[in-house]
Parts: sequence; C-alpha cells; structure tokens
Amino acid sequence: MPSRKLPVPIAAMAIAALLAGCAGGSAGAPAAPIDPQADVSGEITVWSWDVAATALKRLGSEYESSHPGTKITVVDVGYDNAYDKLSVGFKAGSGLPDIVSIETDRAPGYITEFPKGFADLTPVIGDKQADFDPSKWSASSNGDGQILVAPWDSGTVGLFYRSDYLAAAGIDPASLSTWDDLVVAGEKIKSTTGHTLMSIDVSSGATFSMMLQQQGEGLFNSDGEITVSSPRAVKALTLLKGMNDKGLIKNVKGWDGRVTATKDGDSAVHPEAVWWTGTLTGEMPELAQKFGVTELPGFTASGARTSNNGGSGLAIPSQAKNPNLAASFVAWTLADTTNQVSMMKTEGLFPSYLPALADPYFQQPDPYFSGEKVYELFATETAKIPSISYTSDNAKAQDMVANAVVASVINGADPQKTLDDVANQIANATGRKIAN
Amino acid sequence: MSLPSRVTLSPAGAARRNPRALGHKLQRPGLYFALPALALFAIFFAYPLASSFWQSMTKTVGGETVFVGLDQYARLFLDPLIGKSLFNAGILLVVQVPLMMSLAVVLAYLLNQSWLRFRGGFRVLHFLPAVTTLVAYSVVFRVMLATDGGAVNQLIGLLGIAPVDWLNNETWARVALIASITWRWTGYNMVIILAGLQAIPEELYEAARLDGAGRRAIFFRIVIPQLRPVLLFTSITSTIGALQLFDENFILTGGGPSDATLTPVLYLYKVGFRQFDFGYASAIGWMIVALTAVIAFVQFRLTREKP
Amino acid sequence: MTRSQDATRLGASLRHAPIYLVLLVGSIISLIPFLWMVVASTHRTSDLFGTPLPVLPGGELLTNLARLQEDVNFGRVMINSLAVAIVYTAFSSIVSIMAGYGLAKFSFRGRNVAFGLILVTMMIPMQVLLVPLFQMMASIGWIDSYQAVILPFVASAFGIFLMRQSFLDFPDSLIESARIDGANEFRTFYRIVLPVAKPQIAALIIYTFMTQWNSFIWPLLMLNTEDNYTVPVALNTMIGLSRVDYSGLMLGSLLATLPLLILFLIFQRQFIAGLLGGAVKG
Repeated sequence: MPSRKLPVPIAAMAIAALLAGCAGGSAGAPAAPIDPQADVSGEITVWSWDVAATALKRLGSEYESSHPGTKITVVDVGYDNAYDKLSVGFKAGSGLPDIVSIETDRAPGYITEFPKGFADLTPVIGDKQADFDPSKWSASSNGDGQILVAPWDSGTVGLFYRSDYLAAAGIDPASLSTWDDLVVAGEKIKSTTGHTLMSIDVSSGATFSMMLQQQGEGLFNSDGEITVSSPRAVKALTLLKGMNDKGLIKNVKGWDGRVTATKDGDSAVHPEAVWWTGTLTGEMPELAQKFGVTELPGFTASGARTSNNGGSGLAIPSQAKNPNLAASFVAWTLADTTNQVSMMKTEGLFPSYLPALADPYFQQPDPYFSGEKVYELFATETAKIPSISYTSDNAKAQDMVANAVVASVINGADPQKTLDDVANQIANATGRKIAN
Repeated sequence: MSLPSRVTLSPAGAARRNPRALGHKLQRPGLYFALPALALFAIFFAYPLASSFWQSMTKTVGGETVFVGLDQYARLFLDPLIGKSLFNAGILLVVQVPLMMSLAVVLAYLLNQSWLRFRGGFRVLHFLPAVTTLVAYSVVFRVMLATDGGAVNQLIGLLGIAPVDWLNNETWARVALIASITWRWTGYNMVIILAGLQAIPEELYEAARLDGAGRRAIFFRIVIPQLRPVLLFTSITSTIGALQLFDENFILTGGGPSDATLTPVLYLYKVGFRQFDFGYASAIGWMIVALTAVIAFVQFRLTREKP
Repeated sequence: MTRSQDATRLGASLRHAPIYLVLLVGSIISLIPFLWMVVASTHRTSDLFGTPLPVLPGGELLTNLARLQEDVNFGRVMINSLAVAIVYTAFSSIVSIMAGYGLAKFSFRGRNVAFGLILVTMMIPMQVLLVPLFQMMASIGWIDSYQAVILPFVASAFGIFLMRQSFLDFPDSLIESARIDGANEFRTFYRIVLPVAKPQIAALIIYTFMTQWNSFIWPLLMLNTEDNYTVPVALNTMIGLSRVDYSGLMLGSLLATLPLLILFLIFQRQFIAGLLGGAVKG
C-alpha cells in the first residue's frame, strides 16, 4: 500500500518546510536595486493574461532575437483569479515570477500593503515620467515617489454614442459639453426613441468612481483623509440618482449585461474606456457605423472631459530572480514607441506612453465609427486624465461606496446623507479622518 | 441472521458505552487503519492551521507583522458586516439546508424503488447539476436570471407575473441564491443518501410489512432512523457548505446587492485577498470554525438522543 | 411477457404517475442549463449576447473546438486533469476508507480527538490556509509540480467522515465472526467489510474524483506552466479582461463534464435498488 510508505520522507521535508516557512516572514527581503546598465542574460518568467499575455509572448520572442542569451517565458495565468496568485505570492514572500501584470486600479492596494514586495523601477524609467499618462504614473508610485509599476495601457474614457438615436432626437453630439446637457438630451431621446440614456451596472460603483476621478477626486485625499462625502462626490451621486429617477438608466449586471444591452441597442450613450472599441468591434460587428465617440461631458463648462477606467502595468516583484533582465524587458516593451504602437495595432492595447500616441496610426479614420478618428480623440485625452490619491484602505472603502451608490440610486436614499453615512462607516472601519 | 447492533453516533464515548462490540485488545488495529490519514494531516495541516491561528493574532502595519493579541477577535463584535453575513448564513441554514435535505431524501427514496422504470436515467439526470463546472454554472444562471429577457422571467411572464429584478433586489437576490444552491447540490446529496439507503437490510422492510406498516410508516420508522449516520453527515456537510458558501454568491451577486448575499467566507475572502487584511481574515476563519463546531456538536447530540 | 403482466404493470405505472411527473419535472430543471451549454458551445460568442438567445444548436462546434485546442491546448490539459484526478482518487479513497473504518469500528486512545481535529480541517475555510500551505510548498520546492497539487489533500476530512458514517452501521457481529475464524484485521477488512460497503465506496470514489477534477484555486496557485494546467485552470484563462470567449468556455465545460458522467454511470451500477441483506445474509 504505497500511501503507507509516504509519511517518513515527507515528514522530514515538512519539518524543513515548517522551519523555513516560519523564518520566511511575509514581506520578503529588500531586494538589491536594479542596475539598468548591467548586462542582461539568462531567463525570466512573466505572468499576464488575455491579450496582454499574447502581446508579451509576441514581443518576448522579438526581444530574445535582439538580445542573444536571453529567454522570456510568458505564462497566461488568467484574469481576475490571477490576483489570488499575486496576493498569495506577495504575502508568502515566495513563488512570484520576475514580472507580473497588475491593473492600475489594483496597483495602489498592492503597493501600500506590500511596500517591500516591489522592485523600485526609478532607475529604469524614472527619467521618463513626463512621457507617461500622469494619472497612471501617480497610481503606480508609492509615497516616496518611487515608481513601482511601469504603466502599460490606458483606460482613457470617452462618450460612445449611437449616432442614429441622437440624430432621431435631433441632438448634436458636439453640444453635449456638460452632464446637465446630457441629461436634457437623455430625456429627449427617451421621449422620441423610447431608449434609455445609459446601460450601467449600478452595483459595481464603477460609473460613480469614474465620475469622481473625472473631477480629480478619489475616495481619499493626498493626506489620507476620507473624501467620499465631498461636494464633488455628492454632485456625482446626485447626477446618477437624478438620471435613474428620470428613467434614463438601465441597470444591468456585469460585463455580460453591458454587452447584451449594447448589442440590443437599449441605450443611447456609453461612457466607457477606450478598450470598449475592442468589445464593440469584436462582439457586435453588425453595429458598424452606428457609433460615434466624443469627449465625456464635463461637470463644469471648463472641467476635465475624460477619466480613467482600467488599464494596467508591469511590476517586478522583489523576489524576482533576474531583476535586471526583467527591467530591461519592461523598459524595452513599454517605454518604446515602436513596441507600444505594435501592441495597439495587433492586440488593441492603448498606450499610456505618450510619445507612442503621436504615431500616425492614431490619426487614422476608423471605418467602424463611420470614418471618425476615434483614437486621435483618446490620444489627446490621455494626457489630461486627472490624477487621484490612493490609500491602503481603498479596497475596503470601495465596497462600502458601491453599496451607498445602490442605496441612493436604486433605493432612493438622499445622496448627501448616504455619503455622510458611508464616510462615517469608513472612518469607523479604518480609523481615518473625514476631510473637511 | 443478525441485524446491525445498536450503534451510537456520538464521536465521544461510543466505545465506553459499547465495550462488548469490539474487545479491548482490538484497539491498536484501529490506529493502524487511521494512521495514513492522521500522518498526512499532521504533515500538511499542522503548520497551516497553527500559522493561520497565529496570523489571527497579528496585524500588518507598513509591511511589518505586529502581534495584537485578541484585537482581531474583538473587531468581530463591532463589525456590522460580520453580523450581516452571519444573518445571511443563518437564512441559508434555516431555509436552504432543510429544503435541500428534504428534496434529496425524497428523491433518493424514490430513485431507490425497485418498481421505478428508467431508474438509472433519472439518477443521472438529477445528478447532472453536481457535475456542471462552475464556469458554466455562472454563465447559465446569469443568463437565466437576467431581468430583461431572462428565461426565468419569461417563464413567470407566461403566468402573468411581472419581471423580477432577481440579482438587484435584496430579497429576490436571496431567493435566487437559495434556488441556485439547491439546484446545484440536491443531486449531490441525493447520491450520498442513495448509497446509504442501499445499506438498509431488506429484512427490516419485510418485518415492518409483516407488522402491517404502511409506506409512510416504513419511511419514517425504518428508512429515516436507519439513515441517521448518513443524514448526520449530509446535514453537517451542508451546514459547513452554508457557512462557507463562496462560489455561488461570489459568481452570481458578488455578495450584493447591499451585502444581502454576503456570507462569512465571501467576506473573509474580500478582507484577506482584496483588502489584504490577512490577520482579520484569519480571525473570521476561526470564528467560522467555532460556530460550525458548535452547530455540528448540537447535530451530533440531536441524532444520538433519538431512540 | 403475458398480457396480464402487462396490464398489472400498466396499472402500477398509472398509480405511480404523479411520482413520474415529479421526477420528470426535476429532470427537466436539472437538464435545462446543460442543454443551454450545448447550444452555447455550438454558436459564436457574439451570438450569445442580445435578445432573443438562440435555443437550437448552431453550426460552430468544430470552429469552437479548434479554437479551444489552439488557445488552451485542451487535449493536453484534459490528459493532465485525468492523470491528476485518477492518482488523487486512488490514494485518497484508500486513505479515507481505512481511516473511516478505523474511526468507526475501533476504539483507541485519542480517537475522538483525532476525529474532532479531522472535522476542524473541514470547518476551517480553505482561504485562510492558502498562504501558509503555499509557503510550505515553496520551501520544499514543490511549486509547479503535481505532487503539490495532489498530496496535501490526499487525506480528506470529507471522505473520512463519509466513510466513518457509512461504517457505523456495519454489523459488529460479522467482524467478530471473522475474527473467530482466525482472520487478521486487514483480511477481515478486505474480505468482509469492503464488499458490503460497495455502494458507499462507489459514492466516495465519485465524489473524490469530482473534488479533484473541479478543484480550481489550489491548482491555480501551484501550477505555473501552461502545459501543466488542469482543465479548470486552463479554462479560466479564457475569461479575459474585456473579452470572454463564452462559446469556447461552454464547450470546454461541456467536455469537462463527460468524464464525470462516465464515472457516475460506471459506479452507480453499485447502487442496486433495494439491495438485499448482502453479506449479512450470506
């Protein structure tokens, strides 16, 4: 019976493991700083997902041929649950590869919770700060100004609209310069075409967060104080609640729900990030020439006309076995116009590296959008995305805020009171002060 | 012919009470039988269990681990989300577990009848939900429960009922969750009970029939008492399943709307893996152990005290 | 078969009609999501959004199959999964059956404590054990290996508990008479006890295999090479950030349920209606 023979050798190993595990600590040892001048050789492993993994596999082999003696192994670890892998690896202080993908929204959480878990990329791309999407750069840096996640693609937000619905209601998309304009237009669209204005997943809180960032505000300010009950937040929530009260919002569930609603033509506009173009062309080719894109309506006549939703970057964990090669590959891939443009062309990853956005590719008219130069619009907006502050309590606060959004928008609670309540909740749960 | 002797179900004291069953000198073989399992548990779980317990008495500040004694456990009492998640688990325990268990017992009993035709076919069909992969399960249920044009709403529409906002309304989200868990796990429990039914000797049925017992009497006086060990097993695993519910609500509702379907383990996951508060997450984990142990203990006692 | 037999059968069937109706409704409820998987796996993903949804199978099965193979090397990961699940089931079932028997039919020092601790491993949420267990595997150097996927869970509280409960009602008299005949404990176990417990062992094997086959989070954490992935881990990579390949996913899921169904069909033969006293009689 083989199972009865197992315990002895395993027991020895387990005891070793126990001792090692106990000594291992959780945060990982401080890594030697990356030396960008070092000769690179050997191999690295990269964890990524989806089209990002596809892009890195393609560029990996190009890198190998231009850098003899190197080997880049890219593993597609799947999206979403990849974070379980990352969390466990960072917490355990072992098991992570040389490079990992992290989304911009999640980066601040990992950076603040595992301050020693990341290699400082300042020696590698620190001198290129001005070349990157500023909002992405600030979300990827720690309090000491070190850059820990190299920005990759941007989630620049614009207003996608159904040109046929707007035309039927006699609305010129260029006239939608504020959210108030959009609400008025929405009522007109509803009465003439019967369609709602927007299909969004209210319970995710994503639209609310996007509206906050558009006003240059996060859930916390730069002093780490709670700002969810600020006048700007109240303004955003009042706006959403007003839209729903007027019957302009169709509440759907998740990405599938948004795709289905869009495909069915339920709503007239979609405030979405640039990667939504990929969803449109991929899942609903039959709707070609029905969409246009314009700037997001502003909260004030002179306010920002864009925001951020999504996007990601590459980080080098301090556990990396070959950090110098990892750093060289990250810089070669992301801080490089040719490669960033190639990832846009081939995999649809919209660069946060601003010099790449000057490439003629972004000036092309797009037949799906009736020949509009949609990427030119997003390219112009990317540099203008407002930066916001993050704290280690963002994930916790985010859940509470999402509940508050539902309470107000769906269940009709007063926005100011709801946000005051949630600010108090966050204060209780985190011990942070509420900003004045 | 000999029938099973009366066997006590308690984990404690079975031998003390029933010493004649297996003599004193036969103690050691029992240990040998259990040894591979015990060794494997010791090797692979001693450290993780000890580590998670230690973890529950620490917190992380700026990447450094600090010992905080029972502070994390104290937080449990002040955290409204703990109360809410326990309330939600309580609803599952009181509504979903009995519903599913009754369905499973009835189905297993029916599918064990010798007169039943297509028995094999019915068994496979009722077991199907248990083999459906989680990915398929999530997609199918989201499609079926969609507010506009979802299959369920179309069906009740035929009866003249207005569409229900299944996943966005607190009450209906709970109903949808209960229905979907029941769908997924009834067949699973049915098979365990079916296997247990096989162990009931035919002689017991015959004796009861000779005594003039009707079907109902046989079911309640023979089948249920004979199934006690298995029913205890399914009810304890279902209790654990309810307190540790994670997959279904994670996928269908994410714990929403407004935490109406948040369960203790889903909350634990959010605290540990999304908010990186591993110390507090471990404390929640051990709270779940304590609660489950208490409920399981009561279940053990209840089944033993029946004649 | 004579006419009168036919008539009796018909009469019985009519009397049982409500029961058949109940079972039929239950079967349909169980089957609908499965049918939808068949439909979804034979369409393009873009057909699966929008209203109305398709209700009949489409013609994209082969395209989806080719893409599934191309994207996640499906044939390979099926073989990986089968190997892992078979090895796991063999080891774990043996361990569970033995431990269940030992805990149910013997009394030895520390038995109740041992049983209690085994139950605790089932009561503690897996999520809080992941990090320390991961640290252990990393220190042994087992990351990205199948032994790390399999070994920590070979001793299964669920399996042991199930077997313990199953053996509780096993007649002590049979064990005693075997001993009187001079059989040693393992021989008694093998010759007398196991044959009677067949239905429960069949259930154990089905569940042990199923647990490993559908196991996701632990293999995800342990496996770092795409060629080593098991089916759930591989299928998970088809859920992207802004695009989900639903038709591929549904096809993969459908194919992944086939081994479980085959296993169930094989082992449910051990469930015979109204099993007679078995060894108790003989």
